Amino acid sequence: MPSDMSCEQLREASAELALGVLPGRERAEAIAHLDRCADCRQFIEPLCRVGERLIGLLPDQEPPLGFETRVVRRLTPDTTAHEGHGSARARGLGGRPVLARIGLAPAAVTLAALCGFAGWAVGTAIEDVTASAPAAPRGEPMLVGDMTSAADAGRSVGEVYAHPGRPGWIFMSVALDGAGRPYSGKVTCLLERSDGGTVRLGEFALREGQGDWGSTARVDSRGVSGARLVSPDGTVLATAHLQTGQVLTGTGQT
Amino acid sequence: MDRLPDEALLSGLATGDPDLAVTFVRRFQHRVFGVAMAVTGDPQLAEDIAQQTFERAWRHAQIYDSRRGSVATWLTTIAHNLAIDAVRARRTEPVAPEDLDALLGVVTETPERWALADEASSRLRAALARLPREQARALVMAGIYGMTAQQIADAEGIPLGTAKTRIRAAMAKLRKTLASVRRGDHAE
Ligand SMILES: [Zn+2]
Repeated sequence: MPSDMSCEQLREASAELALGVLPGRERAEAIAHLDRCADCRQFIEPLCRVGERLIGLLPDQEPPLGFETRVVRRLTPDTTAHEGHGSARARGLGGRPVLARIGLAPAAVTLAALCGFAGWAVGTAIEDVTASAPAAPRGEPMLVGDMTSAADAGRSVGEVYAHPGRPGWIFMSVALDGAGRPYSGKVTCLLERSDGGTVRLGEFALREGQGDWGSTARVDSRGVSGARLVSPDGTVLATAHLQTGQVLTGTGQT
Repeated sequence: MDRLPDEALLSGLATGDPDLAVTFVRRFQHRVFGVAMAVTGDPQLAEDIAQQTFERAWRHAQIYDSRRGSVATWLTTIAHNLAIDAVRARRTEPVAPEDLDALLGVVTETPERWALADEASSRLRAALARLPREQARALVMAGIYGMTAQQIADAEGIPLGTAKTRIRAAMAKLRKTLASVRRGDHAE
């Protein structure tokens, strides 16, 4: 993990970072720095606002004839696939596809938290890379699971999506903010194998119990049975049982 | 339905209700298409980007967070990002000088046309207009066309360090402008 950027260097790069034009490696270093430096986070926030406002100055324009109809047709292909889903899963995998969430890399998530929509812009850029790579085309099977709280008797606290293939990837969205004081700090994500072993995938930070994380990972759909979030002292915070599901864009159903 | 708040409309999209979708698209299509056009300058490509923007918004609706800004701002950001990606994938030569000048003209325009704009935007336009020309160009190239400092340096025939300095100087001034709007004072 690159992390050698100083505060001074960060501030020099911050205008470009906020405008989303800092090249990859520098951006990774800057984000690593922001992750551990509250002062710099505070410094960059108003610059992100400027970037956002700047785009806001672009004028509206009349789209071509028929645009509205064409878009609406793409947005509302078929709505019957919702039936039979009642859980959080239905929200995730029902009429609205979840595929789009998956490409969010950790760096983008960090910046999203800081920069609001400017961070979103970074997130969608990364998503494009991930989604246009060999990642899931429509309807490809992937592993999905509801994440449940270890402390709070199976309460649903998030979702996990793991995509086999090359490169495979995993994405999870966690909201461990139920009873008591929400956990803040590093968590480790482990994949549970059907043979009982575990594979450490990586670490990310929860803030007030909340966090999204994604990574490329080798996911073997038959060899993987679940995922687990563990705090640094080894406490299991949440687990998910992963099953093969189908993620469809638009009319999805597991 | 036309009176539904933006956020409600966005949430409603998930139901697949075509009426909601029509209302949503109708409400934001000018914004989204305008952004895509400004960046790409290509109506065909801009339409494609605008369509993708709506799809993206629909798919991401559950992640939209109103504390971070309005639905319009969110859509603007998505459209802008997609447009930059599309342009990066297609275009290797820099933005045509006349396009850049035209865009600079548009974003610094402050007349009655923008009378309805909020104060921050009006002040930002004015501040942009007051920037040294080369700083404003660098800012627009980076912030709107998504060009890196190196690409700006190449396009302007200046050293990389100079391009970075121009972006930074411009951002520092605009930041000050927005900070003063937030504080409510009217000092320059
Ligand atoms: Zn710092």
